[in-house]
Amino acid sequence: MNAPDRYERFVVPEGTKKVSYERDTKIINAASFTVEREEHTIGNILRMQLHRDPNVLFAGYKLPHPLQYKIIVRIHTTSQSSPMQAYNQSINDLDRELDHLKNAFEAEMLKFSRDY
Amino acid sequence: MEGASYARMPRVKIRELKDDYAKFELRDTDASIANALRRVMIAEVPTIAIDLVEIEVNSSVLNDEFIAHRLGLIPLTSERAMSMRFSRDCDACDGDGQCEFCSVEFHLRVKCMTDQTLDVSSKDLYSSDHSVVPVDFSDPAATDSSENRGVIIVKLRRGQELRLRAIARKGIGKDHAKWSPAATVTFMYEPEIHINEDLMETLTLEEKREWVDSSPTRVFDIDPVTQQVMVVDSEAYSYDDEVIKKAEAMGKPGLVEIIAKQDSFIFTVESTGAIKASQLVLNAIEILKQKLDAVRLSEDTVEADDQFGELGAHMRGG
Ligand SMILES: [Zn+2]
Repeated sequence: MNAPDRYERFVVPEGTKKVSYERDTKIINAASFTVEREEHTIGNILRMQLHRDPNVLFAGYKLPHPLQYKIIVRIHTTSQSSPMQAYNQSINDLDRELDHLKNAFEAEMLKFSRDY
Repeated sequence: MEGASYARMPRVKIRELKDDYAKFELRDTDASIANALRRVMIAEVPTIAIDLVEIEVNSSVLNDEFIAHRLGLIPLTSERAMSMRFSRDCDACDGDGQCEFCSVEFHLRVKCMTDQTLDVSSKDLYSSDHSVVPVDFSDPAATDSSENRGVIIVKLRRGQELRLRAIARKGIGKDHAKWSPAATVTFMYEPEIHINEDLMETLTLEEKREWVDSSPTRVFDIDPVTQQVMVVDSEAYSYDDEVIKKAEAMGKPGLVEIIAKQDSFIFTVESTGAIKASQLVLNAIEILKQKLDAVRLSEDTVEADDQFGELGAHMRGG
């Protein structure tokens, strides 16, 4: 059949980097991150978390084509930060939020099984 | 800016919790997180499903691939899935799906010997692992065990036989929907409804009745004692704008204001039975964390940029 294998959508091919980084040649403190085998799930949470960072002037992501299994995250920051710093910070913050969410859900499950 | 954190601290309130159903409120976060959780629950939380079928005898009316497909769709109890390996990256076997780390073997041997049609169901599948078995859909409250039937695979008449060996593997819904643990996962924005009481009191009882009835879902009602319009079920509102249009048509714009709260969500999670609904939520959080960890910048990328930075600063005359 003339179709890509299904696993192509989520298995990073050997020799390909999961995340690659490219500085903007014209604008200082701007860069693009190419994330292989990811889509809206990661792209959108990163974008929204980056918007919470006051040093981020611009953050956006795109899925260039439905058959190109990658996203491009573009970040422009003030001189107080850098795209790389903002990117790392957004991942750390999301990780923290999810840790908190996990604990909150587990606590509620415990409470729920006691109360009902 | 070391130490600064822009992380949110979401709140959760569980409203209803059953083995295969959960309803909960998620607050103090945004739609991106709610949607990421929904997407991960549907497409990225792993389960175990039949993936390879070797048919020994099939004299049933359904062809081999039809049966193989039906077998794949049977939900299997998948508590083990999170700690299992994917066959494609199992080093104990060559991904041929024959080892305990990445696969579970099933056998099925049924032959119809009577004039009575024989139903072949998921109950006829014998597993090599007692923790990975077809999901039991029978009602635990029902005492009648004759109603205790599995998922039907095929029907046999006298003389017909089905004999096969099947290998179940770990997988995700993104690969094939048979691996999705989610029957449905939805979330809605929590509505906030404000009735303009002063304007409402300019309406006659009949007009109030007419306005209340303009909503396709039962969101409002009239208090039989005070004859005041009240919100009886704000979540029944489906953002259809009918009551707002009705108010305008009645010449009473602003009679009601309905806002979708941007940081409050009501989730409904239904599981196929492969894993518990509560576990599905927890696994989704875990998978999302793993995904985030995988998109961290690697050490060599950072180093390469540090060198570039020095070079750049040098070129800029720094
Ligand atoms: Zn293996």
